[in-house]
Amino acid sequence: MKFATKTFAAAAAICAGLASMPASAQSYEPWEQELYDAAKEEGGVVWYVSQTTSEMANAICAEFAKRYPDVTCDAIRATGSVTFQRVMQEVQANAVQGDVYSSNDDTDFVEMLKADALAAYKPHNLEHMLPSMKAAGNQDGYWYASNISPYGIVYNTDLVPADEAPKTWNDLLDPKWKDQLAIAHPGFSGSMSMFTVAVEEAYGWEYFEKLEANKPQIGRSVSDGYNLVVSGERKVAIAPITLGLGGKMGGKPVDIVVPEDGLMLPPSGTGLLAAAPHPNAGKLFEEFLLGKEAAQMLADAHRFPLRSDVPTADGVPSLANTPMITANPGTAAEKVGPTTEKFRETFGI
Amino acid sequence: MSTTTSTNVAYGGAAARPRVGLLNRFQPSSLVFIGMSLVLVVLIVAPLTALIVKSFTDPATGGFTVANYIDAYGKARHVQALVNTLYMGVAVVALSLAFALPLAWGCSRTDMPFKSFIRAGVFGAFIIPPYLGGIGWILLAGPNSGWLNRAWQGLTGSEASIVNIFSFEGLVLVMAINLYFTMFVLISAAFEMLNSELEDAANILGAGPIKTAWKVTFPLVLPSILGSALLTFLVCIALYGVPALISIPARFPVVVIQLSEFFSYPLRIETAAAYSIPLLLITAVLLLLQRLILSRKGYTAVTGKGGERRMVRLGPWRWVLFGYSAFVVALSVAMPALVLFMAAFSSSWVGGLSLSNLTLQNFNYVLFEHATSQQAIVTSLGLGAVAATFAVLLALSISYIVQRKLVPMPGVLGYLCMAPFVIPGIVLAIAFYSVYALPPVALYGTYTILALAFVTRFLPIAYTTGSAGVRAIHPEMEEAVRILGGGRLYAIRKVVAPLLKRPLAAGWLLIFVPAAQELSTAVFLVGPKTRVVSVVLLDMTEEGEMEKLAALGSVLLVIITIMVLLGIRLLGRDFMVRRS
Repeated sequence: MKFATKTFAAAAAICAGLASMPASAQSYEPWEQELYDAAKEEGGVVWYVSQTTSEMANAICAEFAKRYPDVTCDAIRATGSVTFQRVMQEVQANAVQGDVYSSNDDTDFVEMLKADALAAYKPHNLEHMLPSMKAAGNQDGYWYASNISPYGIVYNTDLVPADEAPKTWNDLLDPKWKDQLAIAHPGFSGSMSMFTVAVEEAYGWEYFEKLEANKPQIGRSVSDGYNLVVSGERKVAIAPITLGLGGKMGGKPVDIVVPEDGLMLPPSGTGLLAAAPHPNAGKLFEEFLLGKEAAQMLADAHRFPLRSDVPTADGVPSLANTPMITANPGTAAEKVGPTTEKFRETFGI
Repeated sequence: MSTTTSTNVAYGGAAARPRVGLLNRFQPSSLVFIGMSLVLVVLIVAPLTALIVKSFTDPATGGFTVANYIDAYGKARHVQALVNTLYMGVAVVALSLAFALPLAWGCSRTDMPFKSFIRAGVFGAFIIPPYLGGIGWILLAGPNSGWLNRAWQGLTGSEASIVNIFSFEGLVLVMAINLYFTMFVLISAAFEMLNSELEDAANILGAGPIKTAWKVTFPLVLPSILGSALLTFLVCIALYGVPALISIPARFPVVVIQLSEFFSYPLRIETAAAYSIPLLLITAVLLLLQRLILSRKGYTAVTGKGGERRMVRLGPWRWVLFGYSAFVVALSVAMPALVLFMAAFSSSWVGGLSLSNLTLQNFNYVLFEHATSQQAIVTSLGLGAVAATFAVLLALSISYIVQRKLVPMPGVLGYLCMAPFVIPGIVLAIAFYSVYALPPVALYGTYTILALAFVTRFLPIAYTTGSAGVRAIHPEMEEAVRILGGGRLYAIRKVVAPLLKRPLAAGWLLIFVPAAQELSTAVFLVGPKTRVVSVVLLDMTEEGEMEKLAALGSVLLVIITIMVLLGIRLLGRDFMVRRS
């Protein structure tokens, strides 16, 4: 991953330089200064995240620490359902240790709201967000959209010529991909559980029964499927196209397909925990996630910046005219459990 | 207290003599023993009771119910996972025994060449935690890109793969290459304690070396074989990391994976508790069986009397045995460790050996850019040391009490010490969680709850090592001390402790290494500030970034290896790798 290597080497160099620089090199908005001062008292923020890879999460934390040198940032990355389970365990134990929670499955927030586990906070930076993204969050301020990682098809370019790559979701059911597919398990991956719900609504459960006939390799995270394709262990994966694009730009033998029938868009939100031990550091971090630096990082990594003032990187397809397959938000929460159960029955794990 | 057994009654009579005072009659050791029992209650009885009670508790009302059992076993898939687990356990024990027994015999009783090399290799199997062995084998035997398969395809030009780690066989192999170590150590220890007199007798009566081994040597080490097989079975069915890596892609559901389903949101502790109760019963039956088999015969092999140990001469067969041993070491240590190190230094693990593929970035990432891995390494080593120290001291005291029958119903204490093995690591974690994490105790997110859980988790290893050691020491030596007027503690200090120095030190390392790498128990007990390195690695495995994973794994392996080598140096060269 040459691209990432350079980025992080640069980030590391900057961090090292920063340590010797006076903190006053940064300038803050008045509200920001106020939050920062309060956050300094608290020490640091703990971020539970399943929305990005751990590499990206740690890079975001490093960038946060660069802007706010006196507040530490610990990113705890795991798959969606593992992260969610950890948070809810803490909520039920009345021993919450995390501050900010970022998920690929917004039904988590519905459950958390029922348990009074979220605090309402509307970040100042919301005003700079794309209108569609502003609308995607919770209107009472319990969570807001913080990332987009649309599901598409990623394939290994050494093993699959571009014209033979699958073009639609249904192409994945072709027997020629037998033993060559990689997918994630909805029992672990939050975004995969949204994918399973959305695809069942669009194509019926037969889709997964036929998919099983091709014996896909099932990993826990979608990143695992992507990495299986990078290594050539599998030829094709159902994975976020953002990962595929990042790998392609970094010189890895992968490319993406935006399926003709549409990308699947898992809603990816972030919320502040009601019992957060460092609420101000948490709010400061939420602001940072919506801030310009974080959006620029997303753009640089060939992901989608959510702000109107940060353009998408070259080579990243515009989502404006792409059809989207999404789960019905009204019923998704109650469908996740039964659908995952069906997945277990069909795939035998 | 000590009136329950005949030996102690006999020597208790000595207390009537004038020079033994009241203080010796009320032995101060009794207080220690009572204390030990209380500790066991905290570590084992309370969490286990909570587990059983939970399994019959209605989560909504708190009343009695059997609905949890219906939830747990009402689905064919759930029952299948249990059957699969038992099947896997038996296969792993069989393969581990096929690895361990010849190697242990070869290293302790024969003139096989290069024993130190084999011993060191086997010890490597112990240093590599199961999940890292699993990652090594995924790199070696991934069905399409694994090194072995690509080498085969390169050599033959064939498109086909020869090995697939994501299969039942792969699962069993990865488990066995880690778990055979325990068998090797326990069986070797038994072999080394035997003297040659009985074998000589067989030889004099006309039996050849093979027949002697089969008829005399192996039956004498049967307790160790059975004990270690049982131990291996129980560890195997409770291991979380390897199934998470391999059985999900292999579509081979096992109990721990099913449990992680119950532990995902909404958390169903009650169903999980119910689901693990049959495992508890199976283990109870197995332990009972072991006791029945062992109680029929006497196995005391070491007495205060002399005896000689000589090596069996194998002739040309010694090279065959060496070849097999080297093969086992290659499978279990050399190959997975080598690919792991190579991947750690590669930009892409499939990129092959070239300068352009060489990088230190993976190490830079895991050591300096990753938020929690640095702290996690320190936490793991610290917890490992604390857990090992407590577990060894506790287990030794208890095995002494049990073997010498110093309290009423000593078997109960022994059974309690073994009990943690019945509980899969993640269930143990949940049992601990439900008793100690929540208020009023409120230990969630502290090092204390991890340390307590680790001590409990490794108590069976400590206890098995300790009681094997104590069992091998005939009471006649302590009785001699006591006849001459020494108290129980004096006898322990002057006779038992020196004799047990080596098993004690071995027991400590036997616990430190896996405790510093423990995953199954830690996975639900860590807080964001108390993450251990295994949990960081598990989170990394989800993403399949093999190179970074390999780098962190390598760092862990190097640190543990250095600590073990230091330990061996400090404890003397006779330690673990015995030179004959």
